[in-house]
Amino acid sequence: MTSIERISNILKRKPVDRIGIYEHFWSDTHTAYTESGHIGKEESFEDHFNLDLQECWAFNLKADLDFVPEVISETEETITMLDGNGAYLKRHKLHDTTPEHVDFTVKSRKEWEEYKPLLANVDERRINFQRYQERKEHARKNNRFFVWSGVNVFECMHPICGHENMLIGMALDPEWVMDMAATYADLTMSLMEILFSKEGKPDGIWFYEDMGFKGKPFMSPSMYEELIKPFHIKFIEYAHSMNLPVIMHSCGFVEPLLPKMIEAGIDCLQVIEVKAGMDLLRIHKNFGDRLSLMGGIDVRTLYSNDKAIIDKELESKIPIVKEGFGYALHSDHSIPKTVNYETLQYYIEKGLSLGKY
Amino acid sequence: MDILQEMSTLLQQGRAPKVKELVEQALEEGLSPKQILDEGLLSGMGIVGEKFKNNEVFVPEVLIAARAMNAGVEVLKPHLVKQGVESKGTVVLGTVKGDLHDIGKNLVKMMMEGKGLKVIDLGVDVAPSQFIESAKENNADIVACSALLTTTMGEMKEIVDKVKESDLSSVKVMIGGAPITQSYCDSIGADYYAADAATASDIALKICVG
Repeated sequence: MTSIERISNILKRKPVDRIGIYEHFWSDTHTAYTESGHIGKEESFEDHFNLDLQECWAFNLKADLDFVPEVISETEETITMLDGNGAYLKRHKLHDTTPEHVDFTVKSRKEWEEYKPLLANVDERRINFQRYQERKEHARKNNRFFVWSGVNVFECMHPICGHENMLIGMALDPEWVMDMAATYADLTMSLMEILFSKEGKPDGIWFYEDMGFKGKPFMSPSMYEELIKPFHIKFIEYAHSMNLPVIMHSCGFVEPLLPKMIEAGIDCLQVIEVKAGMDLLRIHKNFGDRLSLMGGIDVRTLYSNDKAIIDKELESKIPIVKEGFGYALHSDHSIPKTVNYETLQYYIEKGLSLGKY
Repeated sequence: MDILQEMSTLLQQGRAPKVKELVEQALEEGLSPKQILDEGLLSGMGIVGEKFKNNEVFVPEVLIAARAMNAGVEVLKPHLVKQGVESKGTVVLGTVKGDLHDIGKNLVKMMMEGKGLKVIDLGVDVAPSQFIESAKENNADIVACSALLTTTMGEMKEIVDKVKESDLSSVKVMIGGAPITQSYCDSIGADYYAADAATASDIALKICVG
């Protein structure tokens, strides 16, 4: 089977030759593997490990496209910048991490109204046509399942107003939050229409939508249903109208939201973060007949670099979750550089060998 | 409804301006600042903490309740100082060096303040030496460290070691965050592991008041 056939079937839970394989990496892992001579500088992980999927992140959703990011302060290790969303973000210069939210210009509906017109403008400069073209072609050459990837509404909102303002808004001014979500949904779908009509459709849609943290979702299932789910339905119906399956990524513990995410129409849940409390076997047992799964292999077992620990993790999960044909191998987040190259190779070989049908 | 009960209820609903008004009214009516703090504000926040632990409320509800509590505390603070009412204990809190995540840490801060503890928030990307210096300066009872990343959690061991090496023998080290477990806590010799923000505040209160 080609990767396209395999992943297409896995997302429909139809028979395949083996489980799928995909992975995310912290960027300094590539540097480490390059320095150790294991992977070429320009070589992608998808090519090197012959992964089944190829993503392309093609949209820029910054509110003000013309704003030149401004350095507010800088130390040897960190840099704080003001960006086109009016957000003050501090980033670490020495390693990969999500930035600290220092402050946001948009704190409530009042400031949002000033930024909203910028996001209502469907500007083609927001689309990286070239990257999409190149990745799509590369995926096609390698028979790899090609996904458009980007953020959905929950992940769209916090870069402009921060998690705390957004979550407070969800409780105190839900109409404001829904207005932000609707604005981003309209913009993204308009951009998708332009991109797909000019460059062709992908094989699937991948939404990043981090809705949980350790042990809990950020919001209650009822708040998800009221404020976020309507936009998920809108996006997923749009994707399905083009026969494109939808993979939704969420970090954190989102199990309480899963029944409603399935109602919204997602075809596959990724990344199933073990350290946040997500349990691949339980989720497979409870939802595996309606939902494909990707991930859920505890990355901590990988950076133990101990084959016996990795064997135990894979042997306890793969034979069970491969039942029903709806599983793709992936760690429960991203591979850090502390995972030795040889360990990663072993993990992939072992996982795929257990995942044969 | 009794004014303190009403204050507690409104706080749980996150109605900051109303809570502020009721604190002012309670002071005018001659209630003691400590009683207002304990039976109005902290009681309300305590209920929110329990509900959070039991998944009856989620982060948005905790955030608005904490904001309402802070609005009340702002009014009450000068009166508490005047009467010499002290906090129940002092916690030095921060996200470890190399880690810029702060949502979990901020929740811990809100929950601990909701228990009547004084929290010195050092922010994110905090070096072990900063934890130690602040603990000494503020005569802290607890050093609480958060980490979200598997790549930064190793910093916690250095903090534990530095606390042990220093003259902070009575200071307890509490750790938490997504990759942290009880076994990791045991392996680095930290005193307490908290699985979530509400549990962290329960443990901290227990350490401080017994």
